[in-house]
Amino acid sequence: MIEVERLEKTYGFARALRGISFSVQNGEVLGFLGPNGAGKSTTMKILTGYLLPTGGRASVDGLDVVERSLEVRRRIGYLPESTPLYADMRVDDYLRFCAEIRGVPRSRRKAQVARAVERCRLERVTGKNIVELSKGYKQRVGLAQAIVHEPPVLILDEPTSGLDPNQIVEVRKLIAELGEQHTVILSTHYLQEVEKSCTRVVIVHQGEIVADGTQQQLVAQQPSGGVLLTVRGPEQAVLSQLRELLPADVPVAVTARDGDRVHYRVAVDRQNAPVDEALARLVVKNGWDLLELRREAATLEDVFRNLTLRAQQEAVGA
Amino acid sequence: MPDVPVLDLVGSGARVVFRRELKAYFLSPIAYVFGALFLAVLLWQAAAATIVDGAPASMQPFFAYLPWLFLLFLPGLTMRLWAEERKLGTIELLLTFPVEARQVVMGKFLAVMVFLGCMLLLTLGLPLTLGAYGRLDWPATLGSYLASLLYASSYVAVGMFWSSMTRDQIIALLASIVSLALLFLLGVPQIVEGMFAGAPAWLQDLLNGLSPYKYFQSIARGVFDTRDFVYFACFCGFFLYANTLVLQVRRQQKG
Repeated sequence: MIEVERLEKTYGFARALRGISFSVQNGEVLGFLGPNGAGKSTTMKILTGYLLPTGGRASVDGLDVVERSLEVRRRIGYLPESTPLYADMRVDDYLRFCAEIRGVPRSRRKAQVARAVERCRLERVTGKNIVELSKGYKQRVGLAQAIVHEPPVLILDEPTSGLDPNQIVEVRKLIAELGEQHTVILSTHYLQEVEKSCTRVVIVHQGEIVADGTQQQLVAQQPSGGVLLTVRGPEQAVLSQLRELLPADVPVAVTARDGDRVHYRVAVDRQNAPVDEALARLVVKNGWDLLELRREAATLEDVFRNLTLRAQQEAVGA
Repeated sequence: MPDVPVLDLVGSGARVVFRRELKAYFLSPIAYVFGALFLAVLLWQAAAATIVDGAPASMQPFFAYLPWLFLLFLPGLTMRLWAEERKLGTIELLLTFPVEARQVVMGKFLAVMVFLGCMLLLTLGLPLTLGAYGRLDWPATLGSYLASLLYASSYVAVGMFWSSMTRDQIIALLASIVSLALLFLLGVPQIVEGMFAGAPAWLQDLLNGLSPYKYFQSIARGVFDTRDFVYFACFCGFFLYANTLVLQVRRQQKG
């Protein structure tokens, strides 16, 4: 549905995109992750025809976004960052305007506006001016605007930023529903959002793609995952025994104390995996109580932090 | 959608933008305050000058005031057209709708022109009064109204162009007033002669010929010369095209 090949964008001397490539299949909900300024919005602006790329190409439904911009725009519903709306218009007038300018034929306009209103649960505010609405409602108007012409592709730039937790839950639910009928690209800072709503994740950093895959794939590639250990016993003795057992480069730390129980974290990675049994035996052999022993589960957050922070440190080091 | 660019200038996209903008003007309190002020000053000044006991009925003083009021009033109307869209970010939606930029430009331009046309219609009370109590030269009066509308269109095109250059409405306003004032001065031959005393006559003529004011006067005098109409079409066309170019160039940059 969407193909992006070696897309580049330069603003003056700043290279916002350094040749990124990815594709989105029909029906996918792609989460576009990255720190601020990574190039998420730039990519979306190029796909929607607002900006022209400096190099590379992108297509939607087989149509080049530069050569056949109008046809591409007809197939896209777009919610720009921070949800710009004509504040002086009434909600229903605004949605009618959006339907009309996007070429929804007169005979279907009323029905499609009503459907967008219903899907975004805007029934109660259709007669109000947009300026009077709460932020959550404004966001829903932005989403209604993006779906009113029933486009196959939805591009949503940070659809939940600036909302309160209840509004976030509602908007996420709405996006999940929309994902059933549209191909969606959504950018976000919130990792939970990706975990909840997306079928695939692309992580961009400094204009380059640093990860692309399903959540499980990305988490599985994650090298980290230490062992968490809770022991009832003399702290100093336990620590020295642990250090003796483990190779010198494996750090051991006390993460919390809870009465006579002490929580330790052993930062082994997957390579020196079979330490779990050795640790258990060590504790039991010394006559201490082993209260818990488990592997830390890697999360998308670890993936994200690893990829974006590591790249940053490399950049600083170089 | 026809592929000839000129044919789709008033296509469906332009019509939708036109209707939205016109409604925005009619719903905006600022436009009303501005409009009321415009009409009040114009009619008060002009009524004092036109309704003179014993003198023949004439709309001349009215049309002499008009360029001055346009100079302040029209940039006030046009300053928001693009600057506000950029400031609010709505330009990003507007320019990603499946509509050519030139149609959006045209829709906005025509919306201001129709709003202005309504304002001018409201001033018809003055010639109607004059006509009722004296002998008014109606063909000349209507010709002057047409000239005023054409003259205003050139101001609107310039004002819109400046609005597209900035996200600050006040900068758009000031840039429009300054550039339109300069154009106005070029339209007065004596001023051109004074300012460019050393310049050859052809250059002075050229500078004078750039000014919309010259052609406004020519049409307002009741002389309908095709060249004057062609001039306004070219002048507006130039600035509206420049406006479209500004939008295109910005797509290469940060938006």
